[in-house]
Order: sequence, then C-alpha cells, then structure tokens
Amino acid sequence: MLSKITVSPAPHISQKRSTRGVMLDVIIGLSPAMAAALYFFRVKAAMVMAVCVVSCLFVEWICGVLRKKPHSLGDLSAVVTGLILAMSLPPAIPLWAVVIGAAFAIVICKMLFGGLGANIFNPAMAARAFLSASFGVLMTTWTVPATIAPDLPQISATQTTAVTQATPLAWAKSAIQGKADVKEVNAMLKSAFLGSVGGCLGETSALALLIGGAYLLIRRTITFHIPAAVLIAAFVFAEIFYLINPDKYSTPFVQLFSGGMLICAFFIATDPVTAPLSTKGMWIFGAGVGALIMLIRFIGEYPEGVMYAVLIMNAVSPLIDRACKLIPAGGKPNVK
Amino acid sequence: MADIRGRLTFSGGVHPPESKEYSENCPIEVVPVPKQAAVLLSQHLGAACAPLVAKRDKVAAGQMIGKAEAFVSAPVHSPVNGTVKDITLLPHPAIGRTMGILIETDETGNAPKQPAARHFDRTFDPAGFSVDAICRAAQEAGLVGMGGAGFPSRVKIEPNPSMPKELLIINACECEPFITCDYRVMLEWTWQVLAGIRLAARAAGVSRTRIGIEDNKPEAIRVMTEAVRTLDEAEDIQVVPVKTKYPQGGERQLIRAIEKKTVPTGGIPPAIGICVLNVATCAALAEMAVLSQPLTHRVVTVTGRAIARPGNYYVPIGISAAELIDHCGGLTEKAAKVVLGGPMMGFAIADLSQPITKTSGALTLLTRTDVSEAKYQKQQTPCIRCGRCLAACPENLNPTKIAHAVKHFRMEMADQYYLSACIECGCCSYVCPAQIELTGYIKTGKLLKARAKKRQG
Repeated sequence: MLSKITVSPAPHISQKRSTRGVMLDVIIGLSPAMAAALYFFRVKAAMVMAVCVVSCLFVEWICGVLRKKPHSLGDLSAVVTGLILAMSLPPAIPLWAVVIGAAFAIVICKMLFGGLGANIFNPAMAARAFLSASFGVLMTTWTVPATIAPDLPQISATQTTAVTQATPLAWAKSAIQGKADVKEVNAMLKSAFLGSVGGCLGETSALALLIGGAYLLIRRTITFHIPAAVLIAAFVFAEIFYLINPDKYSTPFVQLFSGGMLICAFFIATDPVTAPLSTKGMWIFGAGVGALIMLIRFIGEYPEGVMYAVLIMNAVSPLIDRACKLIPAGGKPNVK
Repeated sequence: MADIRGRLTFSGGVHPPESKEYSENCPIEVVPVPKQAAVLLSQHLGAACAPLVAKRDKVAAGQMIGKAEAFVSAPVHSPVNGTVKDITLLPHPAIGRTMGILIETDETGNAPKQPAARHFDRTFDPAGFSVDAICRAAQEAGLVGMGGAGFPSRVKIEPNPSMPKELLIINACECEPFITCDYRVMLEWTWQVLAGIRLAARAAGVSRTRIGIEDNKPEAIRVMTEAVRTLDEAEDIQVVPVKTKYPQGGERQLIRAIEKKTVPTGGIPPAIGICVLNVATCAALAEMAVLSQPLTHRVVTVTGRAIARPGNYYVPIGISAAELIDHCGGLTEKAAKVVLGGPMMGFAIADLSQPITKTSGALTLLTRTDVSEAKYQKQQTPCIRCGRCLAACPENLNPTKIAHAVKHFRMEMADQYYLSACIECGCCSYVCPAQIELTGYIKTGKLLKARAKKRQG
C-alpha cells in the first residue's frame, strides 16, 4: 500500500498553473484580435495565421529532433510566438515569407539561445525585423479591409474617405512631414478603435486588443505594470508633442489606438522571458518601450516604432534587472 | 461583536487553499500509550543533548533523559514509563539522522497522559512566580518553539540587558494550510494558554503583549478576546486579528503586520525589542511552571485526504508516525506523500518510523491530486522569468536568481542575491508555473554554504 509514497523538498502543494496554462491564456487573450483579423481580412488572415503557427510548431519539432531532446511543443510557446508574429504581419504578405519569418523566429531567435526562457530578444519581433530588412516592400503593402470585403457593414463613417492604401500611422507620418492634413488623421480615431483601417493583422482593432488585454489582467497572466508603463509613457510623450504643435502631430489617442501600440503593451512587451523580473524593472522597461515607440513615430524615419522599441528594450532588459536589484525586506545584511 | 477582520499584513505571500475543514472541528483526543517511544536528542536549534541514561535503564514518565549542556539547547524527557532499548541513530525530518533514545514502554503501569488544561482557570495569578523561576521552568521543561523553528524558549524569554524587550507577540496565526493544532489549543485550553502568555510576559519583562490570530479563525479570536477581557488592563494584553495570508505566522512577517517594524536581515526579533512565542509553547510553559510537568506531549494535527480519521491528537513526543497513522485509521489508497508538518514547510518523510518531535505540529497525508500530477512526477520546465516568485517572496528576494546560482554552484552569486535572508517559506515554489523547486535549491544552497564554512574551520 505504501509503495507510491514520494519525497521532495517543501512545499508539497502548488498553484495549479503551468507554463502551458500561461501560454494558453495568452492564446485566449489573443483570440478577440484573431477574430477581428478574420473579420476584416478574411481568408488572407486565416492563411497567414495558420501557416505561421504551423511553421513555428514544425520548426520547433525539428529543433527538438536535431538536439536529440524531447520536443517542447506541449508548452505552447511556439504557438504564441507564431500567433504574435502572424499578428504583426501585413495581410497581403506571401506565405513563403511567413514560413521564413517563422523559421527565423524559432531557430535563430529562440532555439540557438537555448530554447524557452533563454532567448534575449522577443522571437516574433526579431523575426519581423528580419522580414522588414529583407522584404521591405512586402512588409509595407497594406490591404484596406473594405477592398477585401466590400459587402461588410459600414462600421465607420470615415472609412470610405479616410484610408485608402496607408495605415493611420503612415498618414500621421505624412502629416508630420507636411504632406497631409492632421485633421484627417485625427478623424480616424473611431475606425482605428474598431479596426476598419489598414494595418497588420492583429493591430487594427484596438477594441479587440483591449478585451484580450483585460482578460490577461483579470487572469493575472500578466501584471498591470508593463502595459500601464508603455501606455502612460506613450501618452505623455504624444500629449507633449500634440500640445506643442497640434497642427502637425495627431492626438495622443490616435497614437495609442493605432498601429502596434496596444498589442505591444499587452502581448509583446509583457513577454516574461525578455522583460525584467522586478516590478520596478517592469516600470522602467515599459516606459522605455512606450517612449521609444513615440520617438520613432514622431521623430524617426519609420511611421511605426513598436518592433525596434521592443528589441532595443529587450537588449537593455538584463541591465535594468541588474540596476533594480531587490533589497531584502530587512535591509542589506551587515555582514556577508 | 467587534469587527474581527484583520487588515494588518505584510507584502508578498500567497493564498493557498486553507484546507482546515478536515480537522478544525475535531476536539483534541488523547492517544493511547504507544508500544515504544523514540526521543531524539536534537529536537531544537542548537547543540544536541547528552544522554543521561544507558541501555537497559528503567525510565519514568517525565524523567529527564537528555541533558542540555550548551547555552542554546534544551533537555529532553521520557514521555512514558519503560526501559531504554537502545541509544542509536534515528531518522530526523530535517537533518537526516540523529542520535535518539529508543524506549520500550512497560506493559503495565502506563496510563495515557491527560491534558493539563483542567488545572487552569480565570483565577490564575502570575505574580506568584519569580522571573527566575519562570526561566528555570522553561529550561527544565525542555521548552522550544513548538511552531516549527524549535528555538529554545528560555533563551528567548530570559531578560537580556543588552537587548531589553518591550513587546511580546504571541504567534497564533497558524497560517500553514491544514494545521489546526494551535486553533484547538486556543479553543480548549484557553486559560492554560493565557496563563502561559502572562508568565512569559512577566519573565520577558515586556510592557505590552499582542496575540496575533489570522481572521479565518473567528472562533479563536472570540474566545481569546473574551478571556483577555477578564484581565487587568494594566497587563496590556490584546488580541489582534491579522489578515489570512501565508506566511503570516512567520515571525518576521507577523512583526511587520502588527508593529509595522522590520527585523534587520540576519537579525532576530529581540534586536528590535520584540519576543515572539507560539501558542502551544505558552501552554507548555504554564504546565511546567505550575504543575512541574515537562514537555513530553503535544497536540498534533493528523490531517489530509489520505487519512481515514483526521483530527487533533494529544500524543507523546516520540511516538512514531506509523503508530500515529495506525491510530487514525491508517492511510487510504490514494496516499502519495507523508509530510511531517504542514504542506508548505513540512518535511516529506519516507521512513514511517520517524518519531514525532517537539516541533511537529502536524502530520499531513496528501493525495496525488493535492500534490498535483506535475509535481508528483517532478516535471520541471525551464524558467520563463515571469517574476511570480519575486512578487510572492515575503522577504523581497529574487528566488529564481538564487536558485539558478545554486544550481550552477555559483555560491558567491547566490550570496549577492542574499541567499541567507531566505526564510524558506516556500511561496516561490508554490507560485512557480514551471514547477521549479526554488525553495529546495535555496535550502541546498544554505547547506552547501554551511558545509563550506565548516571545512574552512
């Protein structure tokens, strides 16, 4: 009867939450944005997402075989990487480019560093950067939702006039360069919030991302620190520029609700592996991401800055951890 | 009825299922005299005792059989009338093996010892006891912290001119899931506990006493508050409800909750003028001071889904886990782990001849579902740096960094992340989604460090 008794260090009970559970939560959190992508971009969205996830899983399995280790597909981290990468790709991207991106994300950015938990850069963002550098035109060819599905109900009054071939952020950039009227950009707020604008698959609907983010917060899969820091920093940055020159810069809310800002705040910057450990570090990291996004959008060459902002902050994340070393509750001990 | 909700708390910590329902309503039950008792010579922090008896000697219940020779040590006593069968190495939950005295119980002339609570009532007056007498009683009773740490109580309550004490905190939190022994002691032995608290307060020379009870035990808060109300206000004893959160009953956490003060890292509570004692320790102090009965018995909660008859049992210190389990109807089919102590800090034992010690408040019998399948199969996945362990750590440490350093024998790095400041509460392992045994690594690190220190001489 007593044959099955085991021993191990205390504690002997644990919270019923696994890495797989955490990843599953992220997938569930992404599902509203996935639904929005399917709604706005239809079969193209479905193809990009499916190809991306399947390639990530397949490449991860191959890596396991080559390393002669049991595969790690069960932790679902490859699915999350695949989904986030898919969400940050334009709908019209050819599928062969998706496969290359997925393979780069898993092999170069994750497995070569040692697999789950050991990578320095967010695999999805690093792969997107790779694709942008290699296939610049493909990565900036935007599909307008209405051209795919002309029979969709009119969700936005501005839809027909405002956006044709560019994302709200590209318009905002033109406005900064004096090539467009900033008022038209500001008028896009409602469509940007609901999602009927051009952009990457998962970026378009701010509403869907907010729902997913709220889910992650309620489930305590992520803490509020990083999203709050990203959004507050970006808002403050945008607000200052808007106050200085409202004729040139769009309103902070347009900036928050368009492009990759929200998916970054809730799903990308919160990737635990590449973010700092301590809450103080999370604040600094998030604020850095938010400020860098706005810096690139307003002053840099690109209309969107999420990808590089995240990668730059990923690189300094270990330094932030070192700078924010925790002091024990009882203070530093006198004698070592 | 006053508001008993405790808002006082500390930062960090976790909320494991309380699981007190198995035994909280079981009155303390006296266990029959065991066939043999194994009294360990090291049941406390500090130096082990020297045996006072030899093989084949006759011993009587309450007789001192192990003598404390060092300053930080506590004697041990025989719980039964019997014959010394052997003095040998016996299993010890924390340190593996230690010397102990094996006593075979006499077949006749042994009656199970009854609790002493009936000798105490509201008329008790501590004024009749000198400080010296109380400290001597604590020493001679072999009194140690019965909440788990096992620090000799005399050293704690004795007046120390270099560290004068101002406040006595009675730790009645019982924050560990499953355990209910202190709760039952407060309900059933109220006056004895109070007598012990007052004696300890008198010996320690404190001006205030606070009894910290978690607010998930409203009945204990009510009973103790009513008992305290009969006292003179000048004694300044108060019951303080505190928030139910693990590890509220860690002394550093309790001090932070009640006094908003912090014990310095590596320091002890007397450094800031505070003495912390456990409820059961106070009851045992009263028993010795008033009735001259040393610490030979204690209340042990036998609990969990894997035991037939859970409850709170008054057992001789030295009874084996196997015999106690048999008395409680035996293990059920689903038993997966036998834990001496609670599920958060207790020790999983493989050898059921393991005797109950002064510090064992519980025997928790866990099933495979309690342990969770991943933990049962010891499946650890890589750290995803989620930071949950940092948020849960009540001492504001970085468990994952320390564990990582220990894993790779980088002891200097483990020290940089304050390895020794860990209180081993287990919160980090509890929350880890990768099921990494963070606390286990940290404990190993401490052990390695102690060993290295020893080698250096």
